[in-house]
Amino acid sequence: MFRLAIKSIKHSPKRLILTAVAVALGVSLVAATQIFTNSLSSGFSNLFSESYSSIDIVVEPDPNSDVLFAADEQPLSDADLTAVSATEGVADAYGVILTQGSLVAPDAGASQPGPPTFVQNWNGNADIDTGAIAVGTAPTQPGDVVLDSETFDGGYALGDTVGIAGADGLSEYTLVGSVELTSGTSLGAKFAWMSTDDAQEFNGVEGYSTIDVIADEGADVDDVTAAIGEELPEGTRAITGEEKAAESVDALNSVLQYVDIFAIAFALISLFVGAYIIVNTFRIIVTQRTREFGLLRAVGVTGQQVRRMILLEALVVGVIASTIGLVMGYLLALAITAIATVFVGDIFGVLTLPPDAIAWAYGLGLIVTMASAIAPAIHASRISPMEALRESATESKKPLRTRNIVGAAMSVVAIGLIFLGLYGDFDRPYIYVGVGAVLLVLGITLLAAQLLVPIAYGLRGVLTRLFKVDGKLAANNIRREPRRSANTAAALMIGVMLLALVATFTESLKTVVTAQFDATSADYFAIDTAGTGIPDGAIELITNTDGVADVARIGVGPVQYDGADSTIAVIDVDASKDLMSFETDPDITEVGDGTYVSQSIQDQGVEVGDTVTLTGGGGTVDVEVTGYFNDEQGGEFNVDWTTGEEVLRDVVVSQLLISTDPGTDVEALQTTLSDELATDYPTVLLQSPGQLAQFANQFIDLLLGVISALLGSALVIAILGVANTLLLSVTERTREIGLLRAVGLRRRSVWRMVTLESMVMAIFGAILGMLLGLGLGSALVLALADFGFDGVTVPWIWLGVYTVLAAIAGVLAAVWPAWRASKLDILKAIATE
Amino acid sequence: MTATPTTSLAATMRDGYKDYGTGEMAVRALDGVSVDIARSEFTAIMGPSGSGKSTLLHTLAGLDRLTAGESSISDIVITQLSEAQVTEVRRNNIGFVFQSFNLIPSLTARENITLPIDIAGDKEDKQWFDEIIGILGLADRLTHLPAELSGGQQQRVAVARALVSRPEIIFADEPSGNLDSRSGAELLGFMRRAVKEFGQTIVMVTHDPTAASYADRILFLEDGKIVDEMRDPTAEKVLDRMKQMGH
Repeated sequence: MFRLAIKSIKHSPKRLILTAVAVALGVSLVAATQIFTNSLSSGFSNLFSESYSSIDIVVEPDPNSDVLFAADEQPLSDADLTAVSATEGVADAYGVILTQGSLVAPDAGASQPGPPTFVQNWNGNADIDTGAIAVGTAPTQPGDVVLDSETFDGGYALGDTVGIAGADGLSEYTLVGSVELTSGTSLGAKFAWMSTDDAQEFNGVEGYSTIDVIADEGADVDDVTAAIGEELPEGTRAITGEEKAAESVDALNSVLQYVDIFAIAFALISLFVGAYIIVNTFRIIVTQRTREFGLLRAVGVTGQQVRRMILLEALVVGVIASTIGLVMGYLLALAITAIATVFVGDIFGVLTLPPDAIAWAYGLGLIVTMASAIAPAIHASRISPMEALRESATESKKPLRTRNIVGAAMSVVAIGLIFLGLYGDFDRPYIYVGVGAVLLVLGITLLAAQLLVPIAYGLRGVLTRLFKVDGKLAANNIRREPRRSANTAAALMIGVMLLALVATFTESLKTVVTAQFDATSADYFAIDTAGTGIPDGAIELITNTDGVADVARIGVGPVQYDGADSTIAVIDVDASKDLMSFETDPDITEVGDGTYVSQSIQDQGVEVGDTVTLTGGGGTVDVEVTGYFNDEQGGEFNVDWTTGEEVLRDVVVSQLLISTDPGTDVEALQTTLSDELATDYPTVLLQSPGQLAQFANQFIDLLLGVISALLGSALVIAILGVANTLLLSVTERTREIGLLRAVGLRRRSVWRMVTLESMVMAIFGAILGMLLGLGLGSALVLALADFGFDGVTVPWIWLGVYTVLAAIAGVLAAVWPAWRASKLDILKAIATE
Repeated sequence: MTATPTTSLAATMRDGYKDYGTGEMAVRALDGVSVDIARSEFTAIMGPSGSGKSTLLHTLAGLDRLTAGESSISDIVITQLSEAQVTEVRRNNIGFVFQSFNLIPSLTARENITLPIDIAGDKEDKQWFDEIIGILGLADRLTHLPAELSGGQQQRVAVARALVSRPEIIFADEPSGNLDSRSGAELLGFMRRAVKEFGQTIVMVTHDPTAASYADRILFLEDGKIVDEMRDPTAEKVLDRMKQMGH
């Protein structure tokens, strides 16, 4: 049987090529991600262990502690540094200040800040400073600064005045040198070093973020770590460099794991689409070989052996396709790392083939191929020996009734599940929605065959009028094998469905966002681009500018609530009343100051009038709950400014809402304010609501773009599926096409016939997909009404684009089959056997 | 549709050679064949298998190309034409009836019959269509798909299709080969009527003496050469001739 299977594949490998390509594409996606993340992980693991190799002990805030530090305090003080230095076994202890700022480019006048700049104090130890001076001198004098050599080489010279904007506004320094990073790459970020005093002043806080310790030669690091631990203030810890490196790698790996899962999800979509093609291919092959199987059965081969033979063929195809996929994945990962290296430097380990990648590639590839071949194999095993004697090898026309009933039942159950998931009150609603969506796709695939019959009837008239015989024949071909056409169209349907779903969601989201910005009566928003908060000076500047009426601050900060990490948003309630649209119960504009909790806290049983305990940088504070808020302003708690300062001590202002006096030229004032801010506070960006809405919409579009790109492979596979089905159909119809050619059909007409057939299938699949995607997307949007969605926006433009793309895809998919069909040798086609 | 007749010849071949394969594998299927097919005549081509009779039909009909020599359909020398032009000639001047698989399974009998007209984008001659259908007895079968027709009916639909565009010449390749003797006789009778009543030119390849006896003229082919010719044949005369040839 195995030899027969191999021979059969060898005999006509062409019909399996596209099937194998489809599987390989899906597999390569998984393999590439696995290989890529594995290499990234090993690269970073090297980097981490290198950077901690010579640091024996790290003293830092304890991530497991309940103690929170306020924004205006550092976890470690000079006294702590002294205590650590004095500990037995400590050779050297360095207080490290690491903070963020924004380097103002030498020629940039406007407030267009670049990537974040990491500001660190200079310790004079290459291991602690993560680099050594390459040019010039170390920044030991007040007012000195050095930059990483990559940034330095980007247009700086010794003696330049360098501006760095931080939490307290812009500070200026003299550039005295450059630093070559030990790791060789800055990963796209910028680094600046200055004296410890300058760093503390820049940060606005005394003390250190961490203390790096080098132990005495021969001392037991674990003992020293324990000894240091006893000296430390609450909320900090000492950990060996080795453990710290391992912890960092673990943290990175858990992030990369999500990348893997994400990629596997998209690969599964691709393979699901691929499965459709495999089912279709094997079905057609079995039909074409009906007489062969009949003959085998007649000479004594059992049905079971026939089944095994088909599955063996599938196995061989699966192995070959998975191997190709693995190789493609490796090359893809190689390409991605090569490109990434250009931008962020060589952060990758040696590109290996991790066992995970091999397991996933072969596992998925084989399972999908074999599972898809089961139904056709069973079908083949039921072929009677009588078939060998039959004149023509056409499939007996089974009625579609069973298929319709099953399809309808699946669709009904699926819709039920989706609604249960969206509107029901279950723990993991996405499981219901997910299972429902898969069932719906399968159900609609089954129903699509029935749907195609009347559509093909209708199209026949239209296509005949437009394209004469070519159109009529194309419509007939689609109708002739409704199952095959439906399965082919359905493969494309899946991809388009997901695209339409995401587009419906993002367009609706854009409507909500735009409406929110439209609703605000604020004339400008000020946002902080460096992540350090809007400096007080900037707020003062804005408030004191002529024409500015009200300025409302919004701050955020971390707190501990009920033993878990949480965030609070701090609001100027009075100033915000007219600028923000609060949806609270009771109404915040009437009640005023207080503490408002989110839906999730409310779900924990917290009611108005209850007391909740919040722990922040300012200490532990009991506050009374004033009301609930319904919209998402960020954080679980919304508190007034007084409460916020009590809990957090220092509130980092992340956003300002600004209104102007009546009669002010809003645009002119924005220009004036922006210019003033650019000088001293370049990290503060002033935007009109319209600009912010546009910015948010661009971001949402980017999201749509990324997801569309990720769905690309599923779409390519679906198009391959259309090509594959057509190719097999053309082979099946060799004699028919030969006859048409003999009676005078031109090559061009044959080409057009196949192309029309392809386009109809593609557009049919796309339309089904768009209907499904629109439906599911709408259901999703409506289910998320709590998050501010107040209606579905139909992404008409995108739907139009998808239809046009589907038509183009149809034309492309038809190229190979149409070429084959039009080049058919008439004599061979009409030759009597 | 029908080219204006300038001569009485519907098709000709001069010194036709056809080789398959190259080098040592080469097989000469036609070896210097010259033949004239007169208008309104029913010509049969006979010969043992491998004699080149199908090749002669295919090259005459423009389905295949001669390696050397010249052939023409109603004064159009098709050996000089491009593939697209030959297709055009086939469409406008030639009708075909094959042994089997004559019909497009997805089209009804009527659509199959009008296929050449539809392909050419011409208007159907209603009177002519009805006349053919009447003679061939297909009037109540027009809406059926080929799968719903008997073998004899299918071949009659094929003949109707060949006749409908009034081609210069019809080429038939063992048209009765798959039929029982009654249906076969019926079909050949129709073809004969088409020649007698409408002046249709038909060239038929067959190895069946009875079928050949319906023709006005028989060409005997052996090893790619025309070796004999017979006028007004009967089944007995044909059988005798074939026995002489050693079959």
